[in-house]
Amino acid sequence: MKTPRTRPTNDTVRNTAASSDAMIQLHGVVKRFSNAAGEFTVLKGVDLAIKRGEFVSIVGKSGSGKSTLLNMVTGIDHPSDGQVVVNGTDIYTGMTESQRSNWRGRNLGIVFQFFQLLPMLTLLENVMLPMDYVDMYDFDERPARAMELLKLVGLEKFANKLPILVSTGQQQLAAIARAMACDPPLLIADEPTGNLDTRSADTIIQLFEHFVSLGKTIVMVTHDPSLTSRTHRNIILSDGELINETIAISLPQLRHRHMLEFTKLVEERMYQPHETIISRNESVGYFFMIRRGEVEVILQDKKKRENVISRLSNGEFFGEMELLRGGKSIANVRAGSGPVEVLALPRADFIRVMNESPITAEAVAKIVQKRLDKHRVADYRSASR
Amino acid sequence: MEPSLIELKNVSKTYSTAAGDFAALKNVNLKINAGEFVGIVGKSGAGKSTLLNMINGVDLLTEGEVIVNDGGGGISVHRMTEDQRALWRGRNMGVVYQSFQLLPMLTLVENITLPMDLSENFKPRESRDRAMQLLQMVELEEHADKLPAFISGGQQQRVAIARALANDPAILAADEPTGSLDSLTADHIFEVFEHLVTDQGKTIVMVTHDLGLTSRFSRSIKIVDGELAGEVDSDEPKIDKTIRRRRK
Repeated sequence: MKTPRTRPTNDTVRNTAASSDAMIQLHGVVKRFSNAAGEFTVLKGVDLAIKRGEFVSIVGKSGSGKSTLLNMVTGIDHPSDGQVVVNGTDIYTGMTESQRSNWRGRNLGIVFQFFQLLPMLTLLENVMLPMDYVDMYDFDERPARAMELLKLVGLEKFANKLPILVSTGQQQLAAIARAMACDPPLLIADEPTGNLDTRSADTIIQLFEHFVSLGKTIVMVTHDPSLTSRTHRNIILSDGELINETIAISLPQLRHRHMLEFTKLVEERMYQPHETIISRNESVGYFFMIRRGEVEVILQDKKKRENVISRLSNGEFFGEMELLRGGKSIANVRAGSGPVEVLALPRADFIRVMNESPITAEAVAKIVQKRLDKHRVADYRSASR
Repeated sequence: MEPSLIELKNVSKTYSTAAGDFAALKNVNLKINAGEFVGIVGKSGAGKSTLLNMINGVDLLTEGEVIVNDGGGGISVHRMTEDQRALWRGRNMGVVYQSFQLLPMLTLVENITLPMDLSENFKPRESRDRAMQLLQMVELEEHADKLPAFISGGQQQRVAIARALANDPAILAADEPTGSLDSLTADHIFEVFEHLVTDQGKTIVMVTHDLGLTSRFSRSIKIVDGELAGEVDSDEPKIDKTIRRRRK
């Protein structure tokens, strides 16, 4: 077997490299807070690229740094180190606070869990506010534009009501209409449905999907799994660091701390079309997760003819059967018709974490069983043991 | 005798629902004098917020009349057009709610300047100075240029109160302003309210479901099923019930 090209990896770093189409780029962003108890690092060198038109959710436990990360993107807080580029602007270099405020008004819509509508203004007036603030659109155009937005969120009937007289779900819809008042390319939302019933939350996600279909970029912090399942990408923060997205997709049952550990241990390997990744009868030293491309799992029949029994693609894994059951590989695994990028995790680390995480071990074992059943592959090793 | 600052005459409010009409307020008569710190107490659904919304004209009444005697003669709140009422409210009534409603993208001082800019009561330079004075009053001047996300919930509520006072209204209408705060923080909000009443002659009408707070008001009015159920005695009033008007 050829020695594959390897290098340390982080998916998000790679995205950054080719990012002329990026809406958001974070390079080595560090955020430290000082308090009486000492210095505390909330973000530990975050590299992240989010493309234009992506709908991204950010999840993580309380205190993992989610809101701090959003505050780096909105320019609400300042990084201790690193660079943040949003919509082509390096927002912490050479901008005064008031320039940043104006930039924010024109480029970002922000929605929070609590709605921050001004109680003394009607919904229509609330939606007009950002246009007044950054002086966008002709003065006479603003009410009509605000009404269009209220119509879009289904609130035109309530345009002249004060916020207190509509439901909390409707208040949040009005807050979203207001966030979109200046037609920003990027919408940032911090727990936008955290305070709402399921039905109102669903309306809001549908609205977000509509904005994404119009080419807007949306980044949303949420705890709600029913929302993360509807975004293009799910970014997980653990203790101030980003988890490799391929690992999170491949082994979703893992605890975040194990995902983070894997993030630091995996190496990325690239294979050319049809290049062998695992040879039959070879000892397997790694657990592989597919980042990009397709691999073929091939068995030889009695007449030594090759049969492709399975094609695996991104988010799927292989090599686990040999690692969990011991012994040599029963199949050849090779790249499909295109190039393949995989993450390789050393055997010892995989085994150790499977022992520590019975839920993941069980989930992996189920997938193994399914594959065996599906292809009626007799695992001759179990018979011979 | 001087007329009361706020007078409700036979005020009723009925909501139509799918299940039929629901009387949220039934023939309420109430007078509130200038310089009073009035608590409206009662259970959830008793009609407390509806009563407050009648006074500040946020919601419309079904029957009766609300008169506010502030400055140039009595104003019948519900006989104005919607636009007139909005203008009147902006100048005469400060409103504070349980949730904080500061604009996240504006600094604290900008949040307070906003109502002044909207009402055009003050010149831009004046409005900033006044906003700083209000921040000083709620002891947050050192945070003036911070965004709301960087201060605590209690501090945000103090800013919301400062904002409600931006146009120097005679009356502050507060609906559960301490509802989501811990007791220590709530206490701080009460200190601000007491200062406004005793030192600045403001009139405050505050809705709360917390009967434990009645001792902090100069007068507590209980509401049960949409009807006034008399005044609640408090053992140890913190504010002199005979506070005289000190408003200019």
